[in-house]
Amino acid sequence: MAALLRALRVGRALRGLGSVVSAPAAQPPCSSLTRGFHRAALRLQDESKADKPPSSSPSSTPYHEHYRAHSAEQEAAGAPQEHSASEPAAEEASRPNTSYQDQSGEQGEEYETEEQLQARILTAGLEFIPLHGWTVEAIAAGAEMLGLSSASTGMFYNGAGDLVLHFVSQCNSQLTDILAEQHNQIQLGQAEPKKPAEFLRDAVEIRLRMYIPYIETWPQAMSILLLPHNIPDSLKHLSTLVDDMWYYAGDRSTDMNWYTKRAALTGIYNTTELVMLQDSSSDFQDTWDFLDNRIQDVVNMATTAKQVQATGETVVQGLMGAAVTLKNLTGLNQRR
Amino acid sequence: MAASMRLLFRRVIRLSHRNVNVTAAGAPGRPAGCWEPPSCRCFSEAAGDRSTHFGFETVPETEKAKRVYKVFENVAQKYDTMNDAMSLGVHRLWKDTLLHVMHPQRGVRLLDVAGGTGDIAFRFLEYVRFQQERQKRRAARSMQAPSWQDISNNYSTEEEDGAQESRAVVCDINKEMLRVGKQKADGLGISAGLSWVVGDAEELPFDDDQFDIYTIAFGIRNVTHIDQALQEALRVLKPGGRFMCLEFSKVTNPVLARLYDAYSFQMIPVLGEVIAGDWKSYQYLVESIRKFPDQEEFKDMIEDAGFYSVKYSNLTGGVVALHSGFKL
Repeated sequence: MAALLRALRVGRALRGLGSVVSAPAAQPPCSSLTRGFHRAALRLQDESKADKPPSSSPSSTPYHEHYRAHSAEQEAAGAPQEHSASEPAAEEASRPNTSYQDQSGEQGEEYETEEQLQARILTAGLEFIPLHGWTVEAIAAGAEMLGLSSASTGMFYNGAGDLVLHFVSQCNSQLTDILAEQHNQIQLGQAEPKKPAEFLRDAVEIRLRMYIPYIETWPQAMSILLLPHNIPDSLKHLSTLVDDMWYYAGDRSTDMNWYTKRAALTGIYNTTELVMLQDSSSDFQDTWDFLDNRIQDVVNMATTAKQVQATGETVVQGLMGAAVTLKNLTGLNQRR
Repeated sequence: MAASMRLLFRRVIRLSHRNVNVTAAGAPGRPAGCWEPPSCRCFSEAAGDRSTHFGFETVPETEKAKRVYKVFENVAQKYDTMNDAMSLGVHRLWKDTLLHVMHPQRGVRLLDVAGGTGDIAFRFLEYVRFQQERQKRRAARSMQAPSWQDISNNYSTEEEDGAQESRAVVCDINKEMLRVGKQKADGLGISAGLSWVVGDAEELPFDDDQFDIYTIAFGIRNVTHIDQALQEALRVLKPGGRFMCLEFSKVTNPVLARLYDAYSFQMIPVLGEVIAGDWKSYQYLVESIRKFPDQEEFKDMIEDAGFYSVKYSNLTGGVVALHSGFKL
């Protein structure tokens, strides 16, 4: 199936090499089957475009590429990566087929997909959040800045939720890029590997610092994320964030530890975020101190758990020994 | 150059569509000779007597516009009363839903085509006014103790509000309907930001890139060349503008469909005769609903015209469908 779609892409590129005039004649009549095909091809092309930036950046490693491709496949199997907009299948049919792709994987301005345009509008809308808050008005202002009518906010059926989720996923991918870069540095031997606790502490700090420009209105964004119809998406973003952080910290566990570690980090992250909301110290120093303490707590908890287990075993052995001694003393052990 | 190429391309696709679709049973909405086999169409096109449907009749295309005009001229006075009687008042909910989905922001320009008696335009102006008042109230509540700096800022922003006013233009081919609409507007006391223009949906008297939102409520099935109307909509919309169409469509539930058919063909013309004294116009109305393409087909037509992110939602189980597309 993948080979077939790759062939389709190659075919399209080859056709693009021909003249514009010949393109209409070469276009097959669009039945619904072809439409579905084009839709799938377009989606996979989106995935490949999304894959291209990571692979072209210097920070990728074998693990990283595999991990990215795997997660991209998972997402392609389910919902589209960004928002659930209907695929412009007719876009493929009705445009002259001069598909020219430059190195960055993005085609020319005209051939951008709906989802890319929506992402651009939302990113532009982020600038107006201090003024309008996390609302549809901010998206409208962003659209107007890009030269589109404010009626295009109708594309976002989730309104402010789309804006918040877009921002969160943008922050997550920025964090993943930074962590991958650090990982690469360690691979190249240019940096020292960090202990997991320290690594996680730094990762959480980097991630929370991305909220600083919007910290005034962040409570509103958090409340939007907690709306029932947004909870599945916000939980998904949170879980991938925590999973990424542990992955780059070096966790490869396959037992119950996988769950406990991520649960602990989720707790740390959420509580630190809440502390940050009402922190008024300079450069949020109180928040980072709180974070240090929580990480230390978890580390201590792990050590304590091990100690308790060891002590418990020793105690049990001691009790067994005492029981055997008693039995010897009372002569119960002697065989008659 | 690229634009004309795209137009040529679209026409080729449309022609190939017609070739594919002509065998599909009951493929209405294609105005050019849907009852004739493909070979004959070329000749009849050249001969210039293409025919289309007028309800269940077949009439020459040039006739259809005239007959539709006469229908609406006759019903204009009792149009609103009949709407309420036929739909049992539900048409108000449909139009309210259209406005809610539209959710217009500040300062948008609306073009309501086939707007006739102005229902959509009135609702639009009221919605925008309500939103503005709500925002003002919210701002006032958050500024219980304004500093003198805030007060002086307020003075400067009040002037900007004038330029941000929303405007609605009601366009209709039928002067009678517009007259009734103007009377209604005068009765309701709405005059600011509202204009009334006579125009043909297939050839709008506006420049390119003028409007943020284009709506056509229960009017597009009366247009002779629907694809031309869609192209005109694309033309007059600004980039990022939204096309919204409220229209009667195919009921999905078979039980409901039977009831709906019975109601349409038995009750509605009778109501027309009793209330408006015009059986034939309302017979045309229910027949034209049956000839209009269904939801998916109309969505494809909108996409063919060049709109993106086209979606539709069924209201009242498919009796009415709300289609929306964007000019991106």
